[in-house]
Order: sequence, then structure tokens, then C-alpha cells
Amino acid sequence: MDIFATLKIGASALKAQRTRLNTISSNLANAETTSTPEGGPYKKKSVYFESTPIPFSGHLQSSMNKEVRGVKVAKIIEDNTPPQRIYNPSHPDAGDDGYVEMPNINVLKEMVDMMSATGAYEANTTTIKSAKRMAMKALEIGR
Amino acid sequence: MQPIQGIQLTPLQNTTQKAEVTEAENSFANMLTGLVGEVDNQQKAADAAVQEVHAGGAKNLHEAMIAMEQADISIRFMVQVRNKALEAYQEIMRMQV
Repeated sequence: MDIFATLKIGASALKAQRTRLNTISSNLANAETTSTPEGGPYKKKSVYFESTPIPFSGHLQSSMNKEVRGVKVAKIIEDNTPPQRIYNPSHPDAGDDGYVEMPNINVLKEMVDMMSATGAYEANTTTIKSAKRMAMKALEIGR
Repeated sequence: MQPIQGIQLTPLQNTTQKAEVTEAENSFANMLTGLVGEVDNQQKAADAAVQEVHAGGAKNLHEAMIAMEQADISIRFMVQVRNKALEAYQEIMRMQV
């Protein structure tokens, strides 16, 4: 049924935004992490969105629905900007010159990103609610 | 070449009429069964999604909610179809003959 297409698109967006929030949460949690299993300080991660056709059983897909797209996180990319160097010779991860490499994370930027992710999530739940409201209105025709 | 014969119309007409009636019966029954099956599938999907959320599985919270909404819309639609069918039936039963 076509009414479920909106729900599917909304669901894909919600999933993508959740993944985005997960990366932000990871960035915030590791804002001060100087050592990682790969070596070096933690690197800022960000999501890479890609539009996807909504999954449908082939013959149900009308030409209109071919144009509407869901979204997915295609990959999570690492930010390779150089780490911040802070002088702290007593730190276990300090180099010979006494500088520690801190993650390239700006907490304020992450907070703004988080607000944006929350806003996008809310917007998509609203589209889902609208789709449901429209379905209910359509059902009211029969009453 | 076949010899020309009289056309047997009467029995043929009867069978087609009967066939049409059974066809209508069948198609309505099929439609209702299909609809109920569809609604049942939606309910089962919603149930599975809810269970998976409780078990901490791969499904997200919103996926379970959406599955439940889909099941809700489907069942409301089925109830409307049933109401319409029943209304039509009662309308026919009230008909003066």
C-alpha cells in the first residue's frame, strides 16, 4: 500500500539520524581520549548520508515512487585534521617534547550537531505522524 | 468442414450465470481472506518487532513503533471494509420483494 511508503522513508531517516547521534555520542565520549587501539588520539567521526530507493515488491512500485528516496548512512568517515597539541609532560601519552596529541574534536560543534540531529529526528517523526493522520482521514471517508 | 447445427443457447446461459455467481462469491471471500491474512501478517510483524526491542535485538525503537502503526492502520482498514460489506448485505436484506 502506498500509504506505507511515507512510513518507510520516515523510518529510514530516523535510522540514519540515530546513527548520526551515535557517532556524535562517540565523539563527545572520546573528546579527551588520547589513546586508541589503532594508536594516536581518537579521531572525530562523521556520517555520510546517501539516498536509497525505498524497498518495494517490484510490481507495486509506481513511476512516482521511483523518484522518492529514503536515506541511509553509507559510511562513517574519519576526520583527518591534525590533532590538537597540548603541552603536558606528565601525561602518559606525552611525546619526547612534552606535548600530548588531543582529539580533533570541538565539543561545541558536536553539541550543535546533536541539536541538528535531534531536530531532524523530530521532523521525520512528524512526517510519520502526518502520514498516519492522512490515513485516518482517508478511513473516515467511509464513516 | 463441420455440418451446421442449431446453437444450444439455454443450458450455456444457465452455466455462465451460475459461474458468475460462484465467481462473485469466490472473489469476495478471497478478498476478505486476503485482507485478513495481510492484517494478520502486519500484526505478527509488529509483535516480532516489539519482542525484538524487548530482547535488545537489532530492531530500533522507531521500527517497532512504525510496525505497530502499520498494523493499526491495516486493522482499521479491514474493519471499515467489513462494515461496508455488512452494510451492503443488510441493505439488500431489507429490500422489499
